[in-house]
Amino acid sequence: MLRRVWLAAALLIIATQAAAAGFPPAYKPSVIEPKGVPESYEFDLTAALARARAEKKRLYIYLGANDCPFCRKYEAFLDANAGALAPHFAKDYLVYDLRSTLKAQGERLRFRVGDKSWPYKEFMATLGDERARQLVYPSVWLLSADGKPLMQMPAGTGTFETVPEQLEILNLVQ
Amino acid sequence: MKTIPMSRRAALRSSASLLMAGASMPTLAAVGGLPSAAHDDSSPEWERLAAKLFPGKRVQAGSGIVQLTAPLRAAYGASVPVKVVSKLAQTPSLYVRRLHIVVDKNPSPIAAVIDLTTEAGQADFETRLRVDEYSHVRVVSELSNGELHTDSRYVKTSGGCSAPPNRDALHLIGRTMFKLPAGVTMNAPTTADVTVIHPNDTGFELNNVTVMFIPPHFVRSIKVSFAGKKIFDADLDFSLSENPTLRFNFVPRGPGELRAEVVDSKETQFVGTLAVPGIG
Repeated sequence: MLRRVWLAAALLIIATQAAAAGFPPAYKPSVIEPKGVPESYEFDLTAALARARAEKKRLYIYLGANDCPFCRKYEAFLDANAGALAPHFAKDYLVYDLRSTLKAQGERLRFRVGDKSWPYKEFMATLGDERARQLVYPSVWLLSADGKPLMQMPAGTGTFETVPEQLEILNLVQ
Repeated sequence: MKTIPMSRRAALRSSASLLMAGASMPTLAAVGGLPSAAHDDSSPEWERLAAKLFPGKRVQAGSGIVQLTAPLRAAYGASVPVKVVSKLAQTPSLYVRRLHIVVDKNPSPIAAVIDLTTEAGQADFETRLRVDEYSHVRVVSELSNGELHTDSRYVKTSGGCSAPPNRDALHLIGRTMFKLPAGVTMNAPTTADVTVIHPNDTGFELNNVTVMFIPPHFVRSIKVSFAGKKIFDADLDFSLSENPTLRFNFVPRGPGELRAEVVDSKETQFVGTLAVPGIG
């Protein structure tokens, strides 16, 4: 009986954590789940870019992992400051939340736009992004509606986990 | 307070302990690590370091003699691109004699001390630095007339979840290469890169497999000459990124050999050369 209680409690904790993972709902993120799992984790950005063009907005693309403590930290920061930040996101950006795992490294992590698909490094090279060298979770890309990077972003999110710094990022302060 | 003159090497060695000693000192100026520090702010670490490196001397900021460029946020804290531009040419009457590159908050803040000659033509340098946390990066340009000029940038870095660095090329350690990215221009400053394949281990990094700290092992000095004449001698530290690279200038006045003599912290010596042809 005691074992069943512990098991139920453990499952509840796991379920709660799983539900908590991801960009907070206050930012109205569109979730992109990977395809081809578990052999590969391919994220299709085609619809995101089409929508950005149609709505004349920028893309805030967030790659998080369900087993990444730094991702939970950033998401918790966003959640705690949604009142101050969500309107600034909504003004210029469409938020896309790519749901990955730390296992998705190297060739297994892929991005698709239309009929083209690239592994992480090649996609970064296509964007001219210095982060091709090493994948870090979480990662954020700021893209224009035509898919061009708006500025070189840092690996991780630790340098914009205060409200003023998050606003620096949204305002493309370099 | 009595100050003791230090050699450059002594300054490099003692810079880590300077920080430790200063941990409990009162705040004298804007503290690094703040989200909104200004690029030209001072820091307690810098105040202490400047007093040791340049005792009794005035270090002029905002004079326009030297300019430092670095991104507010680099892609990786372990590889922050920095560029030093000198606003005066290297002429015998007045030239940049020495450049000091400092990262205030690093465990060993003096990243490089570069002794220059007029053979450089133009005292511009580019490299990549490790920046351990939110910190000012500074350059101090010491002119041949004794004046000191400085410029600084505030840089924000942090970590994340990532795979360990690639260490598959250990057999190449010490390989020293030159590149001439824009070709050769006779009798004018010509840009060159010197790169040493080297992990430049800090001693603060954990091996994920053994769970032991990787011992420090880094390039300690690079001496570069052309046709037997010194261009610069650089005293370096693990604040330079893996595979340390310096972009510099030299003035070729005919064919000759670019030569780099490298020593690392295990006293291992490496040499790299490049034959530079004459033109015409």
